[in-house]
Amino acid sequence: MANIGSVVSKFYSEYSIKTPKKMKIIDAYLLYILLTGIVQFVYCLLVGTFPFNSFLSGFISTVGSFVLAVCLRLQVNPENKNQFQDISPERGYADFIFAHVVLHLVVMNFIG
Amino acid sequence: MTIFKMLKFLLFLFFSQLVSAAIVQIDQKLVNKNVERSIDLTSHLVKVTAAITLENTGTSPISNYLIVLEPGTSGNLSFISVKDALKEELVVKPTEVAGHTDKVFYNVILKQPLGGSRTVVLNLEYVLTEAIVPYPNEITQKEKQFVRYFGSHYFYTPYSTTKQTTTVTLNSRNIENYTKLKPVSQSDSSIIYGPYTDVAPFSFDVLSIHYENNAPFLTVTHLHRLIEISHWGNIAVEENIEIVHSGAKLKGPFSRYDYQRDTSSNHHSVKSYRTILPAAAYNIYYRDSNGNISTSTVRTRKDWIELELRPRFPLFGGWRSSYMLGYNVPSYQYLYKKGGNEYVLSMRLLDHIYDDMHVEELETNVVLPVGVKNVKLNAPYEVERLGDGKTFKYLDSLGRVVLRLKKSNLVEQHIQDLEISYEWDTLTLLHEPVLLAVALYVLFIIVIIYVRLDFSINKSEKKE
Amino acid sequence: MSQTYTKKSSISKLNSKAGISSLLIFVILLLAWIAGFSSRLFAVIRFESIIHEFDPWFNYRATAYMVKHGFYNFLNWFDERAWYPLGRIVGGTVYPGLMITSGSIHYLLHLLHINVHIRDICVFLAPVFSGLTSISTYYLTKELWSKGAGLFAACFIAIVPGYISRSVAGSYDNEGIAIFALQFTYFLWIKSVKTGSVFWAVASALSYFYMVSAWGGYVFIINLIPLHVFVLLLMGRFSNRLFTSYTTFYILGLIMSMQIPFVGFQPIRTSEHMAASGVFALMFAVATLKYLQSMMSKSEFKSLVIYGGLIAAGIVFGTVVLLTYAGFIAPWSGRFYSLWDTGYAKIHIPIIASVSEHQPTTWFAFFFDLHVLVATFPAGLWYCIKNINDERVFVVLYALSAVYFAGVMVRLMLTLTPVVCILSGIAFSGLLELFLRDDEIAKPEESGDEEHTTPKNRKYDKVGRVPKMKHELNKEPDGIGPNIRTIISVVILLLLMLFAVHCTWVTSNAYSSPSIVLASYSGDGTRQILDDFREAYFWLSQNTADEARVMSWWDYGYQIAGMANRTTLVDNNTWNNSHIALVGKAMSSNESAAYTIMTALDVDYVLVIFGGVIGYSGDDINKFLWMVRIAEGEHPKDIKESNYFTEQGEFRIDGEGSPTLLNCLMYKLSYYRFGELKLDYRTPAGYDRTRNAVIGNKDFQLTYLEEAYTTEHWLVRIYRVKKPDEFNRPRIPVANRLVKSPNFVSKKSTKRKRGTLKNKPVIVKGKRLSSKQS
Repeated sequence: MANIGSVVSKFYSEYSIKTPKKMKIIDAYLLYILLTGIVQFVYCLLVGTFPFNSFLSGFISTVGSFVLAVCLRLQVNPENKNQFQDISPERGYADFIFAHVVLHLVVMNFIG
Repeated sequence: MTIFKMLKFLLFLFFSQLVSAAIVQIDQKLVNKNVERSIDLTSHLVKVTAAITLENTGTSPISNYLIVLEPGTSGNLSFISVKDALKEELVVKPTEVAGHTDKVFYNVILKQPLGGSRTVVLNLEYVLTEAIVPYPNEITQKEKQFVRYFGSHYFYTPYSTTKQTTTVTLNSRNIENYTKLKPVSQSDSSIIYGPYTDVAPFSFDVLSIHYENNAPFLTVTHLHRLIEISHWGNIAVEENIEIVHSGAKLKGPFSRYDYQRDTSSNHHSVKSYRTILPAAAYNIYYRDSNGNISTSTVRTRKDWIELELRPRFPLFGGWRSSYMLGYNVPSYQYLYKKGGNEYVLSMRLLDHIYDDMHVEELETNVVLPVGVKNVKLNAPYEVERLGDGKTFKYLDSLGRVVLRLKKSNLVEQHIQDLEISYEWDTLTLLHEPVLLAVALYVLFIIVIIYVRLDFSINKSEKKE
Repeated sequence: MSQTYTKKSSISKLNSKAGISSLLIFVILLLAWIAGFSSRLFAVIRFESIIHEFDPWFNYRATAYMVKHGFYNFLNWFDERAWYPLGRIVGGTVYPGLMITSGSIHYLLHLLHINVHIRDICVFLAPVFSGLTSISTYYLTKELWSKGAGLFAACFIAIVPGYISRSVAGSYDNEGIAIFALQFTYFLWIKSVKTGSVFWAVASALSYFYMVSAWGGYVFIINLIPLHVFVLLLMGRFSNRLFTSYTTFYILGLIMSMQIPFVGFQPIRTSEHMAASGVFALMFAVATLKYLQSMMSKSEFKSLVIYGGLIAAGIVFGTVVLLTYAGFIAPWSGRFYSLWDTGYAKIHIPIIASVSEHQPTTWFAFFFDLHVLVATFPAGLWYCIKNINDERVFVVLYALSAVYFAGVMVRLMLTLTPVVCILSGIAFSGLLELFLRDDEIAKPEESGDEEHTTPKNRKYDKVGRVPKMKHELNKEPDGIGPNIRTIISVVILLLLMLFAVHCTWVTSNAYSSPSIVLASYSGDGTRQILDDFREAYFWLSQNTADEARVMSWWDYGYQIAGMANRTTLVDNNTWNNSHIALVGKAMSSNESAAYTIMTALDVDYVLVIFGGVIGYSGDDINKFLWMVRIAEGEHPKDIKESNYFTEQGEFRIDGEGSPTLLNCLMYKLSYYRFGELKLDYRTPAGYDRTRNAVIGNKDFQLTYLEEAYTTEHWLVRIYRVKKPDEFNRPRIPVANRLVKSPNFVSKKSTKRKRGTLKNKPVIVKGKRLSSKQS
């Protein structure tokens, strides 16, 4: 247990030092979406999933936003520069917007 | 006295012109001196021709002659025409006669007024449809088709007739029965009634014949004829035909086995028929909603093209079929330039479908070229003109005027030319190619711009 | 078109060498398109522009309905003319991609006032899309290997019979556009794995969406891509690129696939789709661990990563299994079981087994459909395995799974064909590179090749095969003598030529028959067209009441609906097994028992296909045993298959046949009055040319039915069911009728609703006919 506690505290300190500010903003956004997702899930457990398509579209839109934000974070992260050679942060951001447009158009169609 | 008479005559003329000969009197001075009538019952149409010798027993000249239809046949009349001895067409107009409002009259205006005690010969021809009725009206595949015809022994006329004979032509010797008003004689497949002498006006005596008739009882219930003019040198014709066997209905099963064994040509079902197309027709197609009908043969004759059409299945009584027949003809044969920008199209309003045809309803649409003005229509007989339509053909942006004409109950005699004249500017021919060229040009410009744009994106990304 | 060339060439001159090679590529692809398009036109030229076979007729009818009534009415279309008295909700039970595609082409053309009939669009849709398929194959192969290989693959796929079989003009079916969607999705997927770009992942999800809307085979994609990801994970090739592309693709693909009414909630409810979600969860687990690892950079976390990964996988798998048992997720459908166990369908679902397309593939079929490619594609596979990288793993998996599935089911040959083309393209390109490298007249593709491989090497850690070969060649330039080179290149070219000849031959002889119009060749070579099907359908459409109900075996349901526009009881959408079994029961019972069923179902006409006069083998008597089997499956008390065999266990229609067979409805309807017919002088009356026997029951009358129409060659026979007052027989009260109400819906066959004629001859029917007739 102590081991895990130390790991977590070390992780936190490493995180605060190593991560650039931009990343932190994205991380905050991610945390927010994660919480939204959890709230949605708990709500569906308590109230039920009817109508199913509305629940699904809401939940998938949360998951989708999370995924896209993670992708953006990965692409923007300077540490991953060698993996994403062709993708500048601006390009990554443009892609992020494009994917969101597609995602939310579909979600709106599906939410009924 | 003479002045008074003249005045009366003028007044009469005046009125007759004004109300389109609505108040015509039966002039009893006119007498049918001799009527030679022949009724042709060989097909499913009743074709009556009569040579009438007229005599004016009075003194004053008479300028019109009245024809009255036999009671109950007015709805069946499809075509009527009267020619004089020189085979020249006379004007025939429907009219009403005071005191005889229950009858249908046609007024023939003679070429010149018939003077006192003079005679003239008129050739009357009319065609009745649906006047021959199958009896019994349901038969099995093996039975023969018998039909009945009801007419009059006497030539039905508002004038007294001195002498008349009637010849009825049938298409088989097998006559079940016929009315025998003496003198009558039968030879082979024709019956001769008369001569009857001194028959009073409006004499009517029922003539009925019950005989075997295996002629194709085909009726076109609806014919949609579409003529499309292209000034590139082509006229496209397309006919949508709905056809029905209007003879005795088939009762019981249809057996292919019996049908294949029965090789006699004289059968009441219809296996195929001939359609005659203009000699210059090309790209002929014969199809229906399920595609091409492969069973047709084209034979080129000297002056026409003969098409042997076989419906997908033999037509028995009551069976329907429908198909589409189309072809192209070069426009130089039908489209004339009449000086300046004016063009005249002269095409058949109705064309041949099969011999002794009967069309219940015809709609002819003529699609004129883009940008025509001042359209004038000259129909050979009275047709109903529906409101003009508008259609778009390949790459049209302006649309073309469609003339829509309608007429019901037509027969072979109605195959006559329709004349349409219009003004049209040759330059509009270039409308579509120019449009196409501009579109392609724009397309290429877009491609060029796109290619350039592609480069710019790459550069900007590299800058980032 | 020539304008395009000149314009393109003028541009390319400006851009020097790169331009010339792109011009060459453009021209080659264009030629491949044209060649592919024109080789698919045999049927149109020989016959006419007409919709083929069975399913296309439904697609055509649905498209025509959509064009006439609009898209929204189409989605809500309840077709009361099918499955009488049940009806069919068409909008919710079709993949609408095909109809939407041709409908929008129709709309666009009519916007420009190009008045093309919707039928012609439908007929030519598949050939046009074959061109697009070859272009997307080019791009896919280019991403996998090189431009040269891509051009080879594009040319192969343009003419390969395995693909032509489903995309000839007139074969208006889902597969025609789905193969394009499949290839394009794979191309975009590879592209996104390579770049890690969200944009390409979104594009691939969009293309996947199109695929879902077009064909049930989308399940292949949604299992293959996760498999690819999973294998990459196992190989330790996880990268952030893979993470971005897969997660984006999955989540967008998931929600988009649920937009299709027919698919609905299946992507989260059925087992077929669970692998994808499992891998999705796994990706997240792995990514988190990797992230933690990178943050802490400690060696002990390596074990944590591995164990964590395994545990995550176990949890995901366990959840799926648990949910399946709990009933949240539907178990695998029967058609999928039949993919694993080829005997499954025979035992449990005779209706699936009755379709010839669902039979296991023979070796002959592999060669017939792929010719030389079947021999060369292992070479390409070997090249790929030898020079493995992320995307080549994909093509290897694609090839292996497709080979397996193609072996199980004939119709899945279609999914094998593209990958075979790709790998053969790679093999040929590799071979020619080796043997033409030093020749001055190198193949044009080579120039593009070289340019492409160099940047690729820069990008990736793995060294590609191509430069290595060059290296080798440079080192030992005399390794292969010029003579051998020439010989081998000539041999290769000869092989390719043979391939082209074979493709044309197969296309023209085997795959270009519309099957509703038959052709036979008489002795002097003149062709006779047997148009009996259309004759009968047209008779039905013209001479029966508009609401008349026609009973026939399900194979002809779509055609009756499409061409005759009459109500049918069962059709090729075999969703309701019990209804089909009822029709099968009516056909296999005796006349009076059948009459009870027919009156209960309000049947007005019965249509049977009878090939005995002309020797057509695909007729109803030859399919009859399947009817019996399917009927037996639902009504085991009334129908027993063994009753239809002789004591020796033979199926015979002559005098020795079993009495049950000789008195069943199907037999009577097929042979009514046939006993009197003498076909020629050598054979006795009632000689069946298809089964080469004199029929056993010659002289019989029909009590409850009467012949309504028989076509010219007796191929289609239509009977009218008499009304009860038409014969001397008391009417049975409704309460006493034995037929159960057909409201039971079989779950087994809701999944994939296709199927065509059983016993569909692989070789052209016309040929067989001619041999029999001459």
